[in-house]
Amino acid sequence: MALLEVKHMTHYFGGLRAVHDYNLAIEAGQIRGLIGPNGAGKSTIFNLITGVYTPTEGEITLNGVNLIGREQHEIASMGIGRTFQNLRLWRHMTVLEHINMANYSHITYGLIGAFFGTPARYKQEAEIEEKSHRLLKLVGADKFADQKVTNLPYGILRRIEMARALAVEPKILFLDEPTAGMNPEELKEMMSIIRHVHAELGLAIFLIEHRMKFVMELCERIQTLVFGEVIAEGTPEEIQNNPLVIEAYLGKDLDT
Amino acid sequence: MVSFFQNLVNALQWGSFYALIALGYSMVYGILMLFNFAHGDIFMVGAYIGFFVATGLLALTVSGSIALPGWLVLLLTIIIAMALNSIVGMLVERIGYRPLRDAPRASAAITGLMIGIILETGNLALLGAQRLSFPPLIATETYNIAGVNVTNKKIMIVGVALFLMLVLHLFITKTKWGMAMRAMAYDFAIIPLMGVPINLIAALTFGLGSALAAAAGILYGVAYPILDPYMGILIGWKAFVAAILGGRGSILGAAFAGFLLGFIEIFTATIFPSTFRDLIAYSIILIILTFRPHGLFGEAYSARLRL
Amino acid sequence: MAVKTNTSTTGAKTGRLAKAWQPFTRVSMLSWLVGAFAAVILEQLVGRPLAYMLGLGKIPVLFGFVMMLKTPLLIPSAIVYVLLIYIFPIAIIARLTTSVGNKLSAWLLRYPMAVSALIHLILLYGTLQIWGSINDYRNLVLRLTFIAILVTLSLNIINGYMGEFSCSTPGFLALGAYGASVISVSMFANDNLFGPAIFPDSWGVFVFPLALLLGGIIAAIGSLVVAIPSFRTRGDYLAIISLAFTFIVKSFIENLEVVGGPRGLSSQPDWANFTVVFIWVTLGVWIMNNFVRSTMGKALNAVRDNEVAADAMTVNTRRTKMVAFMFSAFWAGIGGGLFAHVLRYVNPATFGLQKLAEVLAMVYFGGLNSVYGSIVGAVGFNLLSEALRPLEIYKWIIIPVLLILVMIFRPTGLIAFKEFDVHAIIAPKE
Repeated sequence: MALLEVKHMTHYFGGLRAVHDYNLAIEAGQIRGLIGPNGAGKSTIFNLITGVYTPTEGEITLNGVNLIGREQHEIASMGIGRTFQNLRLWRHMTVLEHINMANYSHITYGLIGAFFGTPARYKQEAEIEEKSHRLLKLVGADKFADQKVTNLPYGILRRIEMARALAVEPKILFLDEPTAGMNPEELKEMMSIIRHVHAELGLAIFLIEHRMKFVMELCERIQTLVFGEVIAEGTPEEIQNNPLVIEAYLGKDLDT
Repeated sequence: MVSFFQNLVNALQWGSFYALIALGYSMVYGILMLFNFAHGDIFMVGAYIGFFVATGLLALTVSGSIALPGWLVLLLTIIIAMALNSIVGMLVERIGYRPLRDAPRASAAITGLMIGIILETGNLALLGAQRLSFPPLIATETYNIAGVNVTNKKIMIVGVALFLMLVLHLFITKTKWGMAMRAMAYDFAIIPLMGVPINLIAALTFGLGSALAAAAGILYGVAYPILDPYMGILIGWKAFVAAILGGRGSILGAAFAGFLLGFIEIFTATIFPSTFRDLIAYSIILIILTFRPHGLFGEAYSARLRL
Repeated sequence: MAVKTNTSTTGAKTGRLAKAWQPFTRVSMLSWLVGAFAAVILEQLVGRPLAYMLGLGKIPVLFGFVMMLKTPLLIPSAIVYVLLIYIFPIAIIARLTTSVGNKLSAWLLRYPMAVSALIHLILLYGTLQIWGSINDYRNLVLRLTFIAILVTLSLNIINGYMGEFSCSTPGFLALGAYGASVISVSMFANDNLFGPAIFPDSWGVFVFPLALLLGGIIAAIGSLVVAIPSFRTRGDYLAIISLAFTFIVKSFIENLEVVGGPRGLSSQPDWANFTVVFIWVTLGVWIMNNFVRSTMGKALNAVRDNEVAADAMTVNTRRTKMVAFMFSAFWAGIGGGLFAHVLRYVNPATFGLQKLAEVLAMVYFGGLNSVYGSIVGAVGFNLLSEALRPLEIYKWIIIPVLLILVMIFRPTGLIAFKEFDVHAIIAPKE
């Protein structure tokens, strides 16, 4: 059985069909890609699986457990960490606090601990902080731990979002355009960070990307989404040579 | 049945006050995405300006300089007070809100509250604590229509309110300025790029809202001739509630909800003891907003995705 | 107190001030408190004769502010008094005990932090108790200011930390005030509404905490009316819902003849002396500060800054909102109960729009998302409000103007987004 399985997922926004008969099966440890032109519904698929929207039809299971109808935070704590296409950070919080926050579902000291500052709380907070530093080191952002996120460059913020998603302790990591707005230098770094994280933590990764080269190099299998429908699925080579994909990307430089 | 229509007449009158004031809240919200919490006190200032204009005109009439019938004095009072009060509104915008346009909205809300207190206290300091009574400009005539008592004042109040709302509607839909206002309500960020002067439109919106508040103030003075510096607080907050109830930024919604609030208040007072009025009226509003969180005419939005 | 707030001006820009401050940069909190303690003792001993000699007649109640505005001729004398009684003694003692104080602070921190914190609190309590014992008016101002700190901080939880605009504080205050008063008045007072007292007044020590807790719990349950809609809506609509809540509570009590209706409830037993108020407010501030500094409490900030991200990072946003509202309402309720027993009279009209404007002003004046801010806001607002009393109604022009200026130049308040780190406060300054 696959780690994450989506079967026949369809979603309408009002009368508008955003996703049609979408299927996906990700095995543990796989890196998978989802490409497609703007507005194809890629982020919608992320939002449907992570519980931001509830799909009109279809099934979603994680390790065989149904995800549909569950709260977003519940799905996250079951093992799906994600980043956002447009960064969604907490602008008044420090980098370290961001990573700590994603441990919310692991906190056991409860309200009593929070109110009265019990030893159990300080012990657990210390553990969480240690873990957060570890994750920040993993993405190479530990030296920014005590800074507010508003002062940091874009490339670093992307890494922080990734570290934050990892703090959820996911079985599968969703990356929504992890290289958007990055220069070639930062892009290379991002690629090696993703590889590093994948190797270190051994989790599955599902990513949306625009840059073909990036997806082609990283992913084992790729889906191409056009107008909410998967028009092609296969290995990077298969996708690259698929006439439907080339047509969908017509006018777009495949090598960017 | 007779008492129902009797209450209907009263509800229409109260609804007129609420609706005229609520329009001011709603217009400012549509443009600047903030509620002008001083608006209730701008209504109060409008009523006082109306008092001085009316008294002045009456004094001129008595002294024989001019000879005007009461209704004309009233009409002139409304027009002059609306013009003067719109200047007050523009000043409030210039001093209290423009410096805060990029600040968090809560800060602007606090500023609004403080301007309100300044207006109340300023009034108290200038005019002293004694209450003023609005001069009776037109004699009350009561018509009995099928057992329902209707006074000429009530007809006049509802008529003037509806007329002003119609004028506002025409202004917003038909004139260049009105279109600019609507465009700004639609997208604040893009409008400066199209060559629409934001500051001017903001001032205009405050001016219009304050003019309507002045009209409401005078009509209120005609119906309940006692003026005091704190008269705007409660009625202002209630109109604010009406503006929200109607759907923020929705002109039609504000007018409708203003009347609705009048109805709710008057009719709860007839069914239950009058002291229950606020309790029941606000419980109804709470229930409406719990189930229709974006108001009656407002655009639906999700708390989660409004970012 | 007055001098302590100066610590925030350590980085004063003006050269002369910085130079004057230079010798004090290493003074620990312990030394400041000892200095303040000595100053209030000094006032007890020589305050009256000194005031008489200076022609002030009586001891200036609030550092001479009130006096200055009433009779400007006395300004020099009042300044001399404040210098001789407060500023010089505190400065001298703080300076002299700098190294001893630092050593002592360091030594105390070798034990659990609670020990040192408690010693500091006892010193603060002693200082304020003695300061407040000069006359009833000072004592009253002191107690009301402390309650204001509690209430301001409780509203800051929602409006600052969670970023909603809640207007329900007067409602929570009323629920707390009536909840506690019903217990105390019905059983411990000779009141024409509930009849003669049933139990002796001396039981107050045990019953008062329970009465306050009851008030707090009623307020917390009442807050669900606002908390539950907050799952679906926020911003302006939630503001209105919370405002409607305040109106409803007020109107509800007005119609509740059992508790006196619009006439209110009076003859509460005199249980809320300074000691009781100090203990409750300190407890409240401590617990609230603990909460907002925990990851669980920071979930409030996450909900405020980006709710979708909070949800995606496993934060249970509904639970967070509900906890925040109930927690905030609970402390507002406690504040209301204390308030009722300090004034020993409440009526529904107390908990209206004016109270709302006052509490909002304190929160936004002091600073959002900050315990320091709430303390500064409540103390500053209350002192200003008392000091400007001689100006009568003009006070209500000056205070709003000041607040507008704060909003224009510091839109989030004077001391916003600053952590209240107890350890840093009581640690030695070397």
